[in-house]
Amino acid sequence: MIELYAITDHPGPALPDARVLRVVSRGSLAGVYGDAGDEAITPDALWRHEQIVEELMQERTVLPVRYGTRFADERAAGQVLEERREQFAAALERVRGAVELAVRVIGRADQPKVTGPAQSGTEYLRARLREHASESEAVHVVHEPLSELARDHVLRPVVLADERMRAAYLVEATAVQEFSATVQRLQDAHPPLLITCTGPWPAYSFTQS
Amino acid sequence: MSDKWLNRPDGMDSLAAALPSIDRALDRRINADPENLERGLAQLVLTIVELLRQLMERQALRRIDDGSLDDEQIERLGQTFMKLSERMQELREEFGLDEEDLNLNLGPLGNLL
Amino acid sequence: MTTIAEQDVALIDLLDRLLGGGVVIFGDITLAVADVDLVYVGLRALISSVATAREQGVLPEMGDAL
Repeated sequence: MIELYAITDHPGPALPDARVLRVVSRGSLAGVYGDAGDEAITPDALWRHEQIVEELMQERTVLPVRYGTRFADERAAGQVLEERREQFAAALERVRGAVELAVRVIGRADQPKVTGPAQSGTEYLRARLREHASESEAVHVVHEPLSELARDHVLRPVVLADERMRAAYLVEATAVQEFSATVQRLQDAHPPLLITCTGPWPAYSFTQS
Repeated sequence: MSDKWLNRPDGMDSLAAALPSIDRALDRRINADPENLERGLAQLVLTIVELLRQLMERQALRRIDDGSLDDEQIERLGQTFMKLSERMQELREEFGLDEEDLNLNLGPLGNLL
Repeated sequence: MTTIAEQDVALIDLLDRLLGGGVVIFGDITLAVADVDLVYVGLRALISSVATAREQGVLPEMGDAL
């Protein structure tokens, strides 16, 4: 059983850890894989997997594959490369030269999400209106300037209490510094917001069309 | 673990309460029992119900903004949505799902929100 | 030295991506009617079983619909 880490171009530079990683290629596509272990899925195991994908990302364009994608053997993996050749080739072009940055905006010391039967229907809806208004504002104030610096973006629904925005940005590798500085500037300009930014990540959120 | 932080704001500890527990975040995605279709189906169904609930709620909010609803209508709608929200919570709890579980990527449908 | 909250946020950002993003080969369904995609959903519990059946050669190929 093999585990697929990422899809990349073929041919390509030498693998970072040739003892552990191998390549299956079909045409101009390659899948980088290793032996599938049976270790427990812990944060450490996930970070180790991630580290491999990020090492690949240093010298190649990669389409990161969802964790836990396993095949019986390299032939089975090769078959998928064949079947979805056009899709993968197009996706590689979309992310070439770019990385993913994750941004969250959370309201600091905000009014708590109001729920419960003690409220009136009117209060419930007014609270919802306030929530939506603060989310729109976060998008206007944070997302709009950041999206100017990105090739592409994904805005996801917010779920956590006081969460105003959740987004992923596809940013040129050479523009990460500027993006990061802009996030910092936006944070300084808006003390009531808590803006987190992590990355660079491989382009996990941009692999589908 | 390499440092992935690009902007690390002050006061992140206040987030701790809001974040889902890591165990939950892992459990959510790692399917411990591949034969258990029921939870996966519940997740799908409730995700779609939740999407519809949010869409309807937003529609009502737009009408409040418009001013096209009177106070009585607002109160009645609010009661209904409140009850809907509570019922959704109960259903989620029945299946051991939290709000993040109903945050499935619905592709084109997800863009409705 | 990162705080617990900082480690958690970085980890959650990782989980969202590694477990919730990336190229999906087994695990997501596009429900289509007359070539129009209706619902695209991640259904890990369901698909896990389907993927196993597929690997074992028990499930016939259904192209992009499944």
